[in-house]
Amino acid sequence: MTTFTLNGRSVSVHSPPDSPLLWVIRDELGLTGTKFGCGIGFCGACTVHVSGRATRSCITPVASVAQAEVKTIEGLDPGGKHPLQIAWVELQVPQCGYCQPGQIMQAATLLKDYPDPDDAMINAVMAGNLCRCMTYLRIRKAIKLAAARMQERGAHG
Amino acid sequence: MSCHTRPDGPPYAGGYGVNTPFGVIYGSNLTPDLKTGIGRWSLAAFTRAMHEGVSRDGDHLFPAFPYYAYTELSDGDVQALYAYLMTRRPVSATVPPSTLPFPLSVRFLQEGWKLLFFRNRRYQANPSKSAEWNRGAYLSEALSDCGGCHTPRNLLGGEKMRHVYAGAVVDGWIAPALTDANPSPLPWTADALFRYLRTGVSPLHGAATAATMTPVIRDGLALPVVSDSDVRAIALYFSDVDHARERATDLGAMMRKAVAISSHRSEEKYDSDAYLYHAACLSCHANAASGPLPARPELALNSALTLAEPANFIEPVLRGIGSRDGAPGLVMPAYAAALSDAEVARLAAYLRRTRTTLPPWKDLEKKVSAARRDLPYE
Amino acid sequence: MGNAWRLGSGHLPSRRYFLISMASAGVILGYARSGLARAEALAVRTGRVHSPAELFEPTIWYAIDPDGNVTVNIIRAEMGQHVGTALARIVADELEADWSKVHIVMADSDPKWGEMVTGGSWSVWQSFPVLSRAGAAGRTALLEEGARLLGVRPYLCVARDGAVHAQGRSVPYGEIVARGHLRRAYTPEQLIRIPIKPPADRRLIGRNTQALDIPAKTNGQGRYGIDAAVEGMIYARPKVPPTRYGSKVLSIDDSAAKQVPGYIRSLALNDPSGTVPGWVMVYADSFVAANRAADRVRVRWKSGDAAHVSEGDLQRRAAELIADPGAGALVVNDPGLEAAFAIARKKIERAYTTSTVMHFALEPVNALAFERNGIFEIHTGNQWQTLILPVLAKALGRSQNTIVLRSYFLGGGFGRRLDGDYAVPAALASKAAARPVKMLCTREDDSRFDCPRSPSLQVLRMAFGNNGQVIAMDHQAAAGWPTAVMAPSFLLKDARGVPYDPFAIHGADHWYTVGAQRVRALRNDLADRTFRPGWLRSVGSGWINWALESFMDEAAQVAGIDPVDFRLRLLTGTGRNAGSAPNSVGGAHRQAAVLARVAEKAGWGSPLPKDTGLGVASSFGQERTMPTWVACVARVRVDRHSGRVTVEKLTLVVDAGTIVHPDGAAAQVEGGALWGLSMALFEGSEFVNGQPKDANLDTYRMLRMGDTPEVEIEFIPSTETPVGLGEPATTVVAPAIGNAIFAASGARVRDLPIRPVTVREALAQKA
Repeated sequence: MTTFTLNGRSVSVHSPPDSPLLWVIRDELGLTGTKFGCGIGFCGACTVHVSGRATRSCITPVASVAQAEVKTIEGLDPGGKHPLQIAWVELQVPQCGYCQPGQIMQAATLLKDYPDPDDAMINAVMAGNLCRCMTYLRIRKAIKLAAARMQERGAHG
Repeated sequence: MSCHTRPDGPPYAGGYGVNTPFGVIYGSNLTPDLKTGIGRWSLAAFTRAMHEGVSRDGDHLFPAFPYYAYTELSDGDVQALYAYLMTRRPVSATVPPSTLPFPLSVRFLQEGWKLLFFRNRRYQANPSKSAEWNRGAYLSEALSDCGGCHTPRNLLGGEKMRHVYAGAVVDGWIAPALTDANPSPLPWTADALFRYLRTGVSPLHGAATAATMTPVIRDGLALPVVSDSDVRAIALYFSDVDHARERATDLGAMMRKAVAISSHRSEEKYDSDAYLYHAACLSCHANAASGPLPARPELALNSALTLAEPANFIEPVLRGIGSRDGAPGLVMPAYAAALSDAEVARLAAYLRRTRTTLPPWKDLEKKVSAARRDLPYE
Repeated sequence: MGNAWRLGSGHLPSRRYFLISMASAGVILGYARSGLARAEALAVRTGRVHSPAELFEPTIWYAIDPDGNVTVNIIRAEMGQHVGTALARIVADELEADWSKVHIVMADSDPKWGEMVTGGSWSVWQSFPVLSRAGAAGRTALLEEGARLLGVRPYLCVARDGAVHAQGRSVPYGEIVARGHLRRAYTPEQLIRIPIKPPADRRLIGRNTQALDIPAKTNGQGRYGIDAAVEGMIYARPKVPPTRYGSKVLSIDDSAAKQVPGYIRSLALNDPSGTVPGWVMVYADSFVAANRAADRVRVRWKSGDAAHVSEGDLQRRAAELIADPGAGALVVNDPGLEAAFAIARKKIERAYTTSTVMHFALEPVNALAFERNGIFEIHTGNQWQTLILPVLAKALGRSQNTIVLRSYFLGGGFGRRLDGDYAVPAALASKAAARPVKMLCTREDDSRFDCPRSPSLQVLRMAFGNNGQVIAMDHQAAAGWPTAVMAPSFLLKDARGVPYDPFAIHGADHWYTVGAQRVRALRNDLADRTFRPGWLRSVGSGWINWALESFMDEAAQVAGIDPVDFRLRLLTGTGRNAGSAPNSVGGAHRQAAVLARVAEKAGWGSPLPKDTGLGVASSFGQERTMPTWVACVARVRVDRHSGRVTVEKLTLVVDAGTIVHPDGAAAQVEGGALWGLSMALFEGSEFVNGQPKDANLDTYRMLRMGDTPEVEIEFIPSTETPVGLGEPATTVVAPAIGNAIFAASGARVRDLPIRPVTVREALAQKA
């Protein structure tokens, strides 16, 4: 049994310790916003936060998040109104949308580390997140829009 | 405790298995159980074991049990430890027939730390050094037994005393040299080492990843028992051992150079080795020119790439890093099921080639394959 | 289920059975219709549920409830085009509905919808005439009844914003539905005669809005096929056989799999439809267990005869076909071609190739199948329900009207999910196990089961007359034919009755006026025997335009004319290239217009830094019957030493007629253009031993964030018939890049993808 925190609530799961976190979240805990893409950590669709950091859940054994705080797209913001999510809707980023929860979770870590990222840092930190619909142009714009708003809010609040 | 406690097992009841060059060995049962523990041990016997490495029944303990370090412990400290252990709950537990107890008694160390006070009866202080230095030396030599991992052993398992802190292989990992032979691109200053020992990560050196080092930081040297000043003393001592001050050049310049190497270079987009790194690793390991962040281990500054052997690169790539290892909460996925031996080898070779000026590692694919065989799953 | 789960101190909402339970409770949909399959509702309304009798349904396409909510049925697959929003806008504009009360529902398969297919960039083009008239019909009925309720003559009333207004008073649609006597329904024949508004009166079409499906795609609530679940289901992962065709299972050894907790059993599927010969299903009580067990199951197969076919074999076969003058279909066959070549002052002949390309939709193919109440339900994202239903009927041995395909978001379509073959093994697995089965392919399974874009070989010739004018052109293309393999009824025939796959040759029948023209389409039979050639975003135009537009540049060079001018001179808009109403009004003149505009916009002819060049390409999209005029200029930099190519900027100009949803249209062009770039520089696999070599992203490259250049897009304002947008931009990017490489460095590349080694070789050849 592995115990960890998922979206703020403690959960104990019975999947074998080497089960990928992704499937524990999707199949055992029933949260399907986190997606399966490549299964080898090369596409980023499965990105969740572990202790606030973007992590590829498809190759992370559930045992390695014991006692850690795991957050999925469903828990990023209670109302789905994280500045990134707002920017994503405003700029109409998603096409098929399958990769976008992972993109948003990865971008959240990007902005945590680099509140005002330049193109080079966006390219680097988002390099592991594939978008087969090729919405990269809008992802970049939305990251910058969210960054600007978060900084503004930070400056005023 | 790490050595004398099974994962999720009763405290000090033994059974922790450690891979050594001499095979898997198990920590013994240190609870006061009469049959399977040390319940029949007198203080004299315990002191003899601690100071002389001789067992209660007269056998010589393998030198992997760090009596050679504990011999420097004061009698009072040994007495305190004895009293502490004898008041633990006895657990009847026979450990597998182990040939070697291994010096990873870090929780024992932590629990003991509470009871100890520094009398320096046996340890001979170096009068040319500061009190803090001497405190650090005592803690490192006598209690923490850093040499147990970081000093190479001879064929009989004894520490090679002429090569103190010269680095050694433990449990498949390399415990790097703590002398000026330390391979870190940037020397370990007292500040960097303090931060590393306190938090598990140094922004300019990376995180503790080895399964053998993280318990030392998380358990052995952890707050609230082990004070900042004690950890600082240890850091100060080793920053002198590795001659950090003499080696410290322009840190800023070295750091900027390293970060520049690591940043995404578009001309590499067609290089299939660079591609592996960009697609699988860069998201977490990329750093801005302003300098590496603690949660973004900068591989160009990491000794995993500069050691003579690739073990400290291969191990975390295959196994990943759990939330209880390394920097607290920081998790690295396990690429064992994602990458082939050849791909891990290519990744290692690529990083060695582009992040260091050292000669290429040899037989990488074979080494990856060997490391994979020792994984707990697969 | 073996996967018992327990909660810690807190608890989580379990969404596991959300879909089925919500649907059967009838909550998602605002209207209930007995026997109708329930689908994912994009807009979940929690208001009261209305019975069919309370609704106004003038056509099958939408219903209005007494609260004024308009629910539009969307029969097209949502795979990123926000098609539901675009189609609902068409209805709502004519209906004069209040957009905030418009909802969309993705429909399940039902014969009443007619052909259910989402592809070819057809959705808006096909739906516009139908849905706009459906909206107009509803408006007419509501206006008449509203006038009656207001006690005024209908001609004094206007319908606007979901209400009928007259003399300062108004009655909302919901109230009309609740109080009125709306009994009008329209047959398709009646609908065709209903007039629609003049373009100037449109209030929603042509204006931006937020797509209705997008919020669910940012918060994890969007449900894809992979998220479908039903109580009591077990999981299955396939063992994909060594060849697509002709594989037979000799033995299954699952002794090692038995050590995997949760493993149930392995079973060879018996498939009367012949879709998945030689497939073995590995069942377990979780996907993790099925995945691990499948890795441990050893199957011995007798493989089909394509087990050793390589990419080289495929291209050698293509060359043989092109060398055989009697082979293939003559799609265009003007008299006098050979005579023109015989008297030509100058001639040019060039050959071009493209490599195998994988779909790699990010959601691996999957399906949930189970029988309930005499209906076999298949829950999966699919682009062409009408195509796969008869196959499923054959596989399951039951009639089509007892099988329903339930719709979900598609985690990428790109043509992969036009072929619903993945529904077949899931259905068979469920039938064999007699319980609900969720089949999920791993990425590697998905790649091996893909219907990739066929490799292609093309040979083009052009003849110039005495004054340098073009007097003849010949285009021969050999590739696998998706339509021949998967939907043979969609094949066309040439004048001699020889069948051909129009989707594998679209583009070669271009709008350039070139004198005597011949287009010969050749079916690579070896490709078709080795794998299922797929329809992949833009299908044949993807390789046809690579050859055609690269060739136009080479021809311009031979003619000594600027590449833009050369094309413009051929876009005369005369003869068969004059265009016709309603779809291709203006003909080649509109292609000339986008070409001239893109050249101007991209600064064609202005000086550039060393080793940097501009290249141009232009097209009409895919089909002459629904041309989307598009032109692209690429600016690239070539590193002469390494052969590396950096694309700095793409400029595109598009004329797609009326643009229903401008921002959505731009998104389609952005995505399409970057797909084109990805296939130009990165994407290319090869067949090795009858299988595509690349099964996952460790070796298969595609465009990532850092490879993305600046992209500038402009639409030509137009009120002509709206045509397709999903694919046209894909087809012009690669040739624009190839031509720009030539402009920058003098290296001419003729093989896709463009690899540095090819550029280096081309540079060496030039020197």
